[in-house]
Amino acid sequence: MTDPALSDPALPDPALPDPSTATPAGGSVIHDLGYRPYTGPRLAPPAIARSLVVTGLRNAFGLGRSGRSKVLPFVLLAFNLMPALIIGGVMVFVGLDRLPIGYAQYASTTQVLLGIFVASQAPVLFSRDLRHGTIALYLARPLPAAAYAVSRWASLLGATLVFLLSPILLLYAVSLLGELDVTDQTRDAGIAIGLAVLLAMSLAGVAGVIASWSTRRGFAVVATIAVLLIGNGIVTAIQGISQEVGKPLVGEVAELFSPYSLYRGLMSMWTGFDAPTPPTGVVMQTAYVVVFVALAGGCLATLVHRYRTVASA
Amino acid sequence: MDVVVRTQGLTKDYGPVLALDSLDLEIGPGITGLVGANGAGKSTLLKILLGLVPATSGRATVLGHDIVEQGPAIRAMVGYLPEHDSLPPDVSASDFTVHMAMMSGLPRVAARERAAEVLRHVGLAEERYRPMGGYSTGMKQKAKLAQALAHDPRLVLLDEPTNGLDPAARDEMLGLVQRIGRDFGIAVIVTSHLLGELERVSDNLVVLDGGTLLRASRTDEFLDATGVLLVEVLGDDAQTRMSEGLARRGVTATPRGSLLTVGAQSAGAGDVHDLIRDTASDLGLGLVRLQVDHRRIEDVFADD
Repeated sequence: MTDPALSDPALPDPALPDPSTATPAGGSVIHDLGYRPYTGPRLAPPAIARSLVVTGLRNAFGLGRSGRSKVLPFVLLAFNLMPALIIGGVMVFVGLDRLPIGYAQYASTTQVLLGIFVASQAPVLFSRDLRHGTIALYLARPLPAAAYAVSRWASLLGATLVFLLSPILLLYAVSLLGELDVTDQTRDAGIAIGLAVLLAMSLAGVAGVIASWSTRRGFAVVATIAVLLIGNGIVTAIQGISQEVGKPLVGEVAELFSPYSLYRGLMSMWTGFDAPTPPTGVVMQTAYVVVFVALAGGCLATLVHRYRTVASA
Repeated sequence: MDVVVRTQGLTKDYGPVLALDSLDLEIGPGITGLVGANGAGKSTLLKILLGLVPATSGRATVLGHDIVEQGPAIRAMVGYLPEHDSLPPDVSASDFTVHMAMMSGLPRVAARERAAEVLRHVGLAEERYRPMGGYSTGMKQKAKLAQALAHDPRLVLLDEPTNGLDPAARDEMLGLVQRIGRDFGIAVIVTSHLLGELERVSDNLVVLDGGTLLRASRTDEFLDATGVLLVEVLGDDAQTRMSEGLARRGVTATPRGSLLTVGAQSAGAGDVHDLIRDTASDLGLGLVRLQVDHRRIEDVFADD
């Protein structure tokens, strides 16, 4: 493999001037150097995966893609931040003694925007490579199919976290500027960040699984929105009815079936937010956390399985 | 020279279809053409060599690495141009090649340099900065070739690189394949169901049929002389007069189009080349061509 004849660059084209004589008086000439082998470092799979995650994160916001693909993610991000900006303005000019909306409550209020964002950007990471056959080029490279799947999920998780955490951090900064109690605010923001991570993990999982099964972007977007928002609507309806008829346990169990309702349940448990049929009892409360994490884990395992199947197809 | 690919009893059973049937193969450096009809097992063989598809039984090594245990090491040193479309439409060839070079483990700065260089080699100029969705088939194939070369592989597997190209683009692609193998010093395995084009560019040929090895040898051995000379003469009624003149000297000439074919061993004594020259000279005819008739690869199949 180290035959010098193989690693030597190609001989220069005889029609070209000899490089050593072609630069009289230091004039510059562009030479055809022929093919030059690469002798530099080659990174190991972990570094490759990291670079795939970063590229995927950029792509999720349309960076490194066409100008048109930047519009939707940034418009959604702007809408998502607008209430926080307005609250910030009010806080600074009026000087309230508490934030008009809780950190954790914010994501629940803007859940439609969040759902549209995740549903529309998951296909960028999961459907595009399958649809255009680019997956064959990825799989022909050192990164194993499982690492590819996890990297894609991590990119979507990162993008979702940018979406979820930026208003929390903005509100936190405003609350500090408004000289609210630092300990209280830090604790509340911390809880909100923890909840946001749990929500982002399962949203990225659900949207990723749907997008990886559909090579058509439109179908993936509609199906994800349906699962997230309509699913949440059904759960909310069941909760309302169960509360009316005085059987809150039904509502508590129903709440386990949608990421948004899990989020609401845990939020009411940890922040005292007033929600219908909050989980009662240690068993139920533990179940909420376990189901939330298991949902994310299950989706991730499905993704890994999906891309392993694609690899050997 | 080192063996690039070696397979021993390589079998791939898809259930209803036996894609590869106990294939024993040795492929050396240079350009190797992999020939066979659709479904002969060419693409399956390439995917097994990349470690993408597990073999049912048998062993294989690529660049000295075992396909089962050292898949990532193989994939780091091999470039792959798949048969089907594989380019995202909303990314430029330049950005895409950089990204793919990084996916092969090159650091960002090196990936940028390599991408610029291979895009120049494959002949994508200004269009490299445009989204690939607007590319012609020829440009797409060049972009696919660029990503296969971006990480300076030791071996490239090209699955039907001329598929869907017009004649001019086909010639350009074949010229590139030839440069990769001869000037760049990268081993090439190239598949095609068109025999004529592999005959032109490859050093060695492997012929697959129904998952079994039909023949593997140097390209020139496929094309060895048929023992027939082609003669072309110019003048009034040249063909008939030449044919009669040769017949008088005891040599049978058979017309083939505007040419005459003469058995190379026809003359009992003396060189048949001299005899043809003298005959033409005596008859006052212009001898335009006197050439050994090579077989074409198609003829090899016609024999089987």
